[in-house]
Amino acid sequence: MNSGAMERSAEGAPLKYDALVVGSGIGGMESALKLGDMGYKVLVIEKDASVGGKMILLSKVFPTLDCASCISTPKMAATIHHPNIDVLTYAQVDGIRDNGDGTYHAKVTQKPKFIDEAACTGCRQCEMACNVAVPDEFNADMVSRRAAYIAFPQAVPKKAVIDRAGISPCTYECPAGIKAHGYVARVRSGEYEEAFGLVLETTPLVGSLGRACYAPCEEQCTRGELEGPLPIRRLKRFIADTHYGRDGLTPLEKPEQNGKKVAVVGSGPAGLTAAWQLARQGYGVKIFESAPQAGGMLRLGIPAYRLPNDVIDDDIGNVTAIGVEIETGKRVDDIPALKDAGFDAVLVATGTHKAVQLRVPGEELGGIQSALTFLADVKLGNPVDVEGKKVLVVGGGNVAIDAARSARRLGAASVDQVSLECCEEMPAHDFEVDEARAEGITLHDGWGIDHFEGDSAVQHAEIKVCTCVFGDDGRFAPEYDETMRDTIDCDVVIVAAGMLADTEAFGLETNPNRTLIADDETLQTAVPHVFAAGDVVTGPTMINSAVGHGRRAAFMIDKYLQGQELDASLFDEALGVVDKNDVLRRQDVYDRREPLESSAIMSASPTDFAETEGPMTEDEAFLGAARCLDCGVCSECHACVDVCPADCIDFSMQEKVIEAEVGSVVLATGFSLFPADAKPQYGFGRYKNVITGMQMDRLLAPTRPYNAVIRPSDGKVPDNIAYIMCTGSRDDTVDNPLCSKICCMYSVKQNQLIMGALPLADVTVYYIDVRSVGKGYDEFYQQARDMGANFVKGRVSGITETDEGNLVLRYEDIENGSALVESEHDMVVLAVGVQPSRGVAELFGDGDGALALDDYYYVGEVDEDLDPGRTNLPGVFVAGAAAGAKDIPDSILHAGAAVAQAAAHLERAKVADEAKAKVTS
Amino acid sequence: MTGRKIGVYVCQCGGNIGDYVDVDKVVEDIKGDDDVIVARSAMFTCSDATQQEIVQDAQEQGLDALVVASCSPKLHTMTFRDVAKRAGMNPFQYTQVNVREQCSWTHTDDKTGATEKATRLVRAGINRTRLTEPLEPIVVETTPKSLVVGGGIAGLRAALGLAELGLTVFLVEKDAKLGGRVAGYGAMFPNDRKGSDLVATLEEKVRANPAITVFTNAELMAKGGSFGNNQVTIAIHGDQLETIQLDVGSIVVATGFDDYEPAAGEFGYGLDGVVTLPEFKKMVDEAPGLLQYQGRPVKTVAYIYCVGSRQDESLEGAHTYCSRYCCTSAVHTAIEAQKLAGDIRQYHLYRDMRTYGKYELLWNASREKGSLYLRVPDDEPPAVEKLSSGGLKVTTKDLLTGGEEIAIPADLVVLVTGMVPRENADLVSVLKLPVGIDGFYNEIHPKLRPVETIVDGVLICGACQAPKTSSEAVASGLAATTQSGAMLKRGFAELDPMVAIVDNDACTWCGKCLEACPYDALEQVEVDGKQVAQVIRTACKGCGGCVPVCPTDAIDLQGYTDAQIRAMIDGLMEVSCS
Repeated sequence: MNSGAMERSAEGAPLKYDALVVGSGIGGMESALKLGDMGYKVLVIEKDASVGGKMILLSKVFPTLDCASCISTPKMAATIHHPNIDVLTYAQVDGIRDNGDGTYHAKVTQKPKFIDEAACTGCRQCEMACNVAVPDEFNADMVSRRAAYIAFPQAVPKKAVIDRAGISPCTYECPAGIKAHGYVARVRSGEYEEAFGLVLETTPLVGSLGRACYAPCEEQCTRGELEGPLPIRRLKRFIADTHYGRDGLTPLEKPEQNGKKVAVVGSGPAGLTAAWQLARQGYGVKIFESAPQAGGMLRLGIPAYRLPNDVIDDDIGNVTAIGVEIETGKRVDDIPALKDAGFDAVLVATGTHKAVQLRVPGEELGGIQSALTFLADVKLGNPVDVEGKKVLVVGGGNVAIDAARSARRLGAASVDQVSLECCEEMPAHDFEVDEARAEGITLHDGWGIDHFEGDSAVQHAEIKVCTCVFGDDGRFAPEYDETMRDTIDCDVVIVAAGMLADTEAFGLETNPNRTLIADDETLQTAVPHVFAAGDVVTGPTMINSAVGHGRRAAFMIDKYLQGQELDASLFDEALGVVDKNDVLRRQDVYDRREPLESSAIMSASPTDFAETEGPMTEDEAFLGAARCLDCGVCSECHACVDVCPADCIDFSMQEKVIEAEVGSVVLATGFSLFPADAKPQYGFGRYKNVITGMQMDRLLAPTRPYNAVIRPSDGKVPDNIAYIMCTGSRDDTVDNPLCSKICCMYSVKQNQLIMGALPLADVTVYYIDVRSVGKGYDEFYQQARDMGANFVKGRVSGITETDEGNLVLRYEDIENGSALVESEHDMVVLAVGVQPSRGVAELFGDGDGALALDDYYYVGEVDEDLDPGRTNLPGVFVAGAAAGAKDIPDSILHAGAAVAQAAAHLERAKVADEAKAKVTS
Repeated sequence: MTGRKIGVYVCQCGGNIGDYVDVDKVVEDIKGDDDVIVARSAMFTCSDATQQEIVQDAQEQGLDALVVASCSPKLHTMTFRDVAKRAGMNPFQYTQVNVREQCSWTHTDDKTGATEKATRLVRAGINRTRLTEPLEPIVVETTPKSLVVGGGIAGLRAALGLAELGLTVFLVEKDAKLGGRVAGYGAMFPNDRKGSDLVATLEEKVRANPAITVFTNAELMAKGGSFGNNQVTIAIHGDQLETIQLDVGSIVVATGFDDYEPAAGEFGYGLDGVVTLPEFKKMVDEAPGLLQYQGRPVKTVAYIYCVGSRQDESLEGAHTYCSRYCCTSAVHTAIEAQKLAGDIRQYHLYRDMRTYGKYELLWNASREKGSLYLRVPDDEPPAVEKLSSGGLKVTTKDLLTGGEEIAIPADLVVLVTGMVPRENADLVSVLKLPVGIDGFYNEIHPKLRPVETIVDGVLICGACQAPKTSSEAVASGLAATTQSGAMLKRGFAELDPMVAIVDNDACTWCGKCLEACPYDALEQVEVDGKQVAQVIRTACKGCGGCVPVCPTDAIDLQGYTDAQIRAMIDGLMEVSCS
């Protein structure tokens, strides 16, 4: 709202206007201006970010050849600055309800622009910083525009908008809450430090996640529906490698302390992330870790060939750099008592480090140990000696695989793995199973341990076929075929049968499975100053889930310590995920871009713990990132935020709902253009040099995208252009027998402009009838003929494309004996017709108050002979092409008719009100 | 130096100016001129963003006068006056310099020359601006009354619309009856409603509305006054001529059209059985059941389209325009004829079938009902001759069958005649109506201001502006209603203060200025015992016609004083382009 036309109303009460004008094309602007001039208060609702409709996008207008911009912009500026008119752009009317007394109640939703309009100066810095490219609807999709953009140079208001179609599926899927699309976009721009910084906004574990995350983002990647997903995880590893590998890193700044202290028990992904987030907000944070080194499962559970220790050190270095203190080898048992040690709040994030037992005979024999112990010993540098030994690993999960592959690296003579689940059902990821097999591990899937045998040390295991792992209720309840048995010789057995939380000593409430009881949303325990996060609450999960939990805990602890309500709805924004199908539909075609091959180097008998996966080169990173489809449009990379000089970008902006009471309604919703690909025989969308009339208008406009008329396939200046009239009009095959009225004239106009811009070009128009009806129109048509445009009466039946991208038209040459003739052109313009704008009737709902449409779905006029523009609903009028195809002067006249009647409606209401007031007084 | 603080903005207008004028160089050239505080170029000066920038500059730099060099003042004077106002300047200390129509577009072959000319034009504008004085608009109260001239369907609907807005309306009709041409029509396209019924509906409402006074047999004889307050004289012809004076705020002209009257022999016009479309339509409307012509049943009809329309421009007095309504009207009349009893064969000889928009459905329907369409070459019109048997024969080439020569024997030949402008020299002279090259009245802008004329308060609607269908005429009548409402509903109007001003000391009242004034905007008054000229500010249009004829240089034009003109000439002559 800019001008204050609305009447003052009580807080929350609906706004009051004399008239609601829906749409701000030429018909809507004319309606609003005339009503405003008469003194009525007007509310204009425009769905786009700028007023102006289609007219402002045109090159020149027939028959005067006035520049469309030059004659539109004064109307646009006048509309927005008129003292009696309020304009809401980027807004839609949700519904209009009849109040029963000739007035209406309108509900309007203004989409968030994510820009503080009052502060935005229209400087376009955000647009230039944004690296997302989506088809530019204001240039008829011929070029791309940014996610942060100003619709077009003459936009009114000239304010930026950030186009967010939703959260991109990769970002939405990330349990950690990392802006995956954002850092991919930053990599695409070569902004690796900024990409690193964006991940740091969520978690300090950039390098660890870049290696050991299972990357659910990639499973959701829309590119996966095409050739294969982006290497999103490896891009994160790339930015971490690049950052940590840089000489002379600028140390992270230590935030100012706020004087409050938080203890974090456990230094795994949840604890480290929470500590990082809290420390960044000024809390004094101390982490207590019972193990000799920090990192939790990252350090103790994940083998170095997947996650080297120095990467964990680098990541933890981020946390300590901003002042977090970590005390290792310090086990805390009495949690609530930490308060007495001066901590204002405590976070328990101790994970699940207790192994589950198999409970089979012989489990107590020597040589049998848990995978957790085994892996931790390897990682901490004192591995169990398995060299030359026969190793049996029990379990089908990630931990079992890690243990088996580690044993292989330690020189085991053989490694057998027994898994209750069949291969496809194993909880380990498929690629891990494949890699394990590649490294020579023998997998016995679908088998369970019956018992171990041996003297003092284990010698072999008897196994039996497992017929079913889970009961009907989904709980773990294996069943076996006792008759199918086998024996595996083994010297060492490593059991990975599950992990439990070790919480007995904490003095906090627990679940039967020993996980801590904390509120699902706030993570607060029954002891108010104690919060719990990560696997100790959820049971064993993935790193990214623990990170997400840690971040949530930090958010809640901050609220708690500030004495605020723990409102979970404020944690992360509520924008929904974008629909992948919408993304794929956004463009007719996407270039094929091959996915990056895996760089893992596998050996059949690995001997060391070197990383199996190689680093990404910069070229690979760029090519990988450049495949992104920018699903959510805005990538949330925050490049715009960095550059905005007015600091006016706000990603938390929500849509606004506005209620208004209006005395009358003028529908000026315009028309839509016929989708040219609905005439497949003309090849639009397949043949690059077949374009629509609107596209040609853009090529000719003063703000034209290429500053020249060129054909799209190769940028050649066309010298032989064909026009196909009546595309989608007067055509029963597309269910539109109507004539669209404007196409003849806009084509004739373009003919003249082309002949002016390209004096050597031939222009041929294939037409049925040239309908130049209107003042000066036929003379204008004759002028085009006189300038040399060639008019051929004939309907084109089809087009084929030559190797050079030229187009061969087949048509019936009506004036020459109706022979079937072919002609070759280097560019074809389809003079597409008009269609009704959909969705207008829906504004009014069904039943008594329904808006009547005509047989062709235009807004119906109940008495076009005497009251043009009047609809079936009293007080509701239609202006311009919403009632049927109209050119600009006809739209202006029609708007004038609608306004005269809307004003008469308002005057009648005024008289009635005055009469009523008189009676009452 | 006058101490003015002038902001100068030179527009690229996309490429309209920038492609042919080196705008940055123009800015560079005038940047150091006296009193120029800000000088910038802009991609679109009229865009909201640049407007904001001007406002911001004005506020930050304390600008008090503005120059924009862009397009024609006709387009954007008001835009930038408004900007000046928003920026806290006096809107009349704004000068629009035209470097597009009068520079870039006319010198597309000479960028250097165009750039130098642009600099000179801008400098002239700066010089004029330097000598501007703040002016205030002339505020006049407007009369909430409208005069509608013409009682056809457009005039009737406009009168009703105006009354519904709360205005007092006077409707003047030359004829004895209201209703105009539409009153004589039976079923009309596209809704098959009778013209007579439509008009009767409107007339009933008009007669019943107490705010509307109808004068039939009446004419507008004279108009005086100024914007928003006109005194009109109406002559009512009755037993004796009566004239009355009325005060009105706006005048809506809805005087309609004439049917084209073919010349004798034109497509056989004058032969028995050759009729015009209006004549034929009347026959169909009034047919007793069977279509008859002079007592004989009509079995075969041949229509010849574009009679009196789309004529070759080489003909003297040619009507080169398309009459818009006739294709659809003929098609519709053919459908109506088909509905009558008896077999009828109908041949349509057309050039382009212009059943635009949803009227296409009528054309489809007529073909389904048996009408045959033949496309005649633009340059080989059909010929009509009388056969010795008494019937008619039309010969034509049909392009749809490969240019085959076809002879059609017909009982009746219908010349599908178009609309021509109505002869109305008296009204044109009384209202100073602008008449276009085609003879119809001209609007200010055919695209955006189709019902306004260059004469303040005089609006045009219906077919007097251009050929229209009945419902289009009604829509334009309502648009004129709206425009009147926009002018009069507020109760006052602000007029441009760039009007003539008299120096009473120098004036000797010779009357020469009054002779030169086309607007009767000067009168003789006595001031301090001296006879001097006085400007009627609300009538003066600021044309400046009086200024050069004054022998004592006692009269000047505010906003374009002699001193300003001289300064502008100096600016044009100055050669200091770097």
